[in-house]
Amino acid sequence: MTQSLTLENITAHYGTTKVLEDLSLHIAEGELVSLLGSSGCGKTTTLRLVAGFLEPTSGAIRLGARDLTRLPAHSRDIGLVFQTYALFPHLTVRDNVGFGLKQRKIGGAERTRRVDEMIERVGLGALADRHPANLSGGQRQRVALARALVIDPPLLMFDEPLSNLDAKLRVDMRVEIRRLQQANGTTALYVTHDQEEAFSISDRVAIMKGGRIMQLDTPEVLYSRPANAFVADFVGFDNMVDMRVISDMGESVTAEMDGGAQIVLPKSQFTVPGKKFIFAARPDGLLVSAAPGAEGIPATLGLRTYIGRAYQYTCETPGGSVAANGPLSAPLESGANVTLVPQPEQCCLLPAE
Amino acid sequence: MKHRIHPLLIAATVVTFLFLLGPLVVIIGAALSDTSFLTFPPQGLTLRWFSNIFEISAFTRTMGTSFMLAVGGTTLSMLIGIPAAYAMARYRVELPAFLGNVFVLPILIPEIVLGFSLMKSLAAGIGLPIMAALLIGHALLVLPYTVRVVGASLNSFDFSIEEAAVSLGCPRLKAFFIVVLPNIRAGIIAGFILAFITSLNDVSISIFLTGPGVSTLPIQLLAHMEQFFDPTIASVSVLLMGVTVAVMAVVERTLGLTFLTK
Amino acid sequence: MSTRLRAWLFVAPATLLVFVFLGLPVLATFLTTFGDPKGPFSTYAAFFNSKFRMTVLWRTMEVALITTIISVAIGFVTAWVVARAPSRLKSLLIIAAVFPLLTGVVVRSFAWLVILGKNGILNSFLLKIGVISEPLSMLYTQGSVIVAMVYLFVPLMILTLVGVLEGIPQDMTDAAASLGATPAATFRQVVLPMAVPGLIVGSVLVFTGSFTSYATPQLLGGERQMMMGTFLYQRAMVTFDWVGASTIAAVMVVVTLTTVLVMSKVARKLNPVAG
Repeated sequence: MTQSLTLENITAHYGTTKVLEDLSLHIAEGELVSLLGSSGCGKTTTLRLVAGFLEPTSGAIRLGARDLTRLPAHSRDIGLVFQTYALFPHLTVRDNVGFGLKQRKIGGAERTRRVDEMIERVGLGALADRHPANLSGGQRQRVALARALVIDPPLLMFDEPLSNLDAKLRVDMRVEIRRLQQANGTTALYVTHDQEEAFSISDRVAIMKGGRIMQLDTPEVLYSRPANAFVADFVGFDNMVDMRVISDMGESVTAEMDGGAQIVLPKSQFTVPGKKFIFAARPDGLLVSAAPGAEGIPATLGLRTYIGRAYQYTCETPGGSVAANGPLSAPLESGANVTLVPQPEQCCLLPAE
Repeated sequence: MKHRIHPLLIAATVVTFLFLLGPLVVIIGAALSDTSFLTFPPQGLTLRWFSNIFEISAFTRTMGTSFMLAVGGTTLSMLIGIPAAYAMARYRVELPAFLGNVFVLPILIPEIVLGFSLMKSLAAGIGLPIMAALLIGHALLVLPYTVRVVGASLNSFDFSIEEAAVSLGCPRLKAFFIVVLPNIRAGIIAGFILAFITSLNDVSISIFLTGPGVSTLPIQLLAHMEQFFDPTIASVSVLLMGVTVAVMAVVERTLGLTFLTK
Repeated sequence: MSTRLRAWLFVAPATLLVFVFLGLPVLATFLTTFGDPKGPFSTYAAFFNSKFRMTVLWRTMEVALITTIISVAIGFVTAWVVARAPSRLKSLLIIAAVFPLLTGVVVRSFAWLVILGKNGILNSFLLKIGVISEPLSMLYTQGSVIVAMVYLFVPLMILTLVGVLEGIPQDMTDAAASLGATPAATFRQVVLPMAVPGLIVGSVLVFTGSFTSYATPQLLGGERQMMMGTFLYQRAMVTFDWVGASTIAAVMVVVTLTTVLVMSKVARKLNPVAG
């Protein structure tokens, strides 16, 4: 019994500070959507609004056909996994997992069966009678997950659930979370500040900033075609250069940056968003080339660092300083004059801001 | 925004605080009343009961004794309590765990039993002068406070700082004085002042140890209350409340009063 | 110098002070009670066979128990509200609770003398509004002692419980709500069990504190409401019966330590995870 989640024009305040502005979001049945952003972007506020710990100033929250907006938290029927896990320290694993069923007046044999089944499913069968204090971080995480899943909620929410685990366990657990979520086909809202985590686990990701969603799309689209400079920067387009179109003829567009250097952008690979635009590139998207006939941005090399798969150079171009990568086979010295050749799959064009 | 509190609970809380502060307001009112008997609300305002304190030599004398005793007892307990707290925090492995309980014993043993036992052994037994017995009694009384409060600030002290000082060529003893002490200053001040007020207010130990010619202010007040019933007692009480205010200000500036809820 | 030796040198003065001036004198008091020529336990036999002494013991227990129960009730409600108050107000309320706590026992008991006395303000008030036609004698009753004791110990209870309730993370109550627990269920199933250790600490402090108090029963109970503390003083300093006084002292120590030990055991049983 999974349901879709809809947030309609939500605005929220902490005291007099506006923390969310006119936020709308729809999560389809069985879909997992992540809210991704740095602290203070409003992602946790959004989750707490849906959970019912906060009330929006205006707007509506709906789960399926049910209007949640003014419903108290305990009547919302949402499975929530906390960053701190929030396991009840005075209850055993079994009683923690059974807590939600107890509130729903599900008792006796059925409760025992469902609790035991769920504990088994998260692989904690042997630890059912322990208290949370006697569990490892990963085990606590599993109890928190089991506790949220056992009530069979139409919506699951995760508030940075993996941030207290070490790197190895984080990867295991996010696979586990995705597996359990997909097995039940439960709609899920996932909050995190970790890009890799969000991209790996989600159907779609909403990148947030200052209480707004900057872009909501599949990880693939976000990664290769960010809609604006903020998202581009977030997904690793470290270099951004302001450009203006000087000629638009046939198969390609020629653009010029401050300082006069020009690049030619083939229309088959780039869609120019306007007369003025931003050329964004990952360091891998600017190939350092010392070949005499190379076409691209002229640059003078600065410091060279070794990053494993390539050398990375700081480069001075007419349009400013950028980072670009060059092949390991041909290390270049500081001061060399080179050309930075754009690699279309690691570059994108953004509307000017 | 959420988590509203039931109005009945708020009402109960208001009543509790009226109950807590009301009696103290009554004392202030009684101290200012222009009548020769204790009354509230005050009838006519006067400060003469405050000046009357200084007419009664028993009060001025015991005030001095109490003050000296509180400073002396607290200082003594600090001098031995700080090294103990330091060692308990610094040498956790080397010292047995039960030592921590030893310093709490003065709280566990009822004060009045301690007072009686000290009287029997020190004053009557080996004939220690009253003031010396009082000093020891009060140092014991406040030792748990000094060890605990100083210990609390030592527990949050990063001992690698001290090691850094030593590695930079500072002798250990000097490192204690110029690195450790300044960093636990707040705890020492707060511990001192809390111990001071505890000693100043003590009845149960002092009642047994005071004797001919030497008494403390609370004991003198107690005796005075049983015989006379005039507003001078109220005005002395107001003075003592003033000391409390000063103590609270110091604790707030150092550890913060919320420390007391921990 | 070995580290161990250095460590012991630091703790030696304080340890010595406690052993020499607390350990030995209290031990001596205990030994006194067994030194009676009529047999080692004759003083205790005398104590437990004396109707008067047992009345005092039971009265003290009763007063301490009632004081504890009332203090828990008042303290818990108040601490609950204080812990949830906005931070500005919370600091103010904590100050308001600390102030009486740091004000001396004598001063605080004296206040109730003024309020409950024959010509006290409660009597004058009741006379004025015509509820009574002549002043009630409220002093030197068990009620007056209990009121003053509660007054003495409620701040301690509030401060202990505020610390405990603040230590319950908001995530806990949020988690309970998200799992469907109503506010009442959250309180019963999450907050209360988690507050148990604090309730026990607070109760032990109040019970032992009121059981061994001296100034308050002296001022508000007088001879008529003799309690263990005042009884001990009277035996020691008025009738100079040091063996009898030592017996009272020993009973007080035993009751206090038993309470502490039993309650900390109960706490551990109710809350197996603490520690």
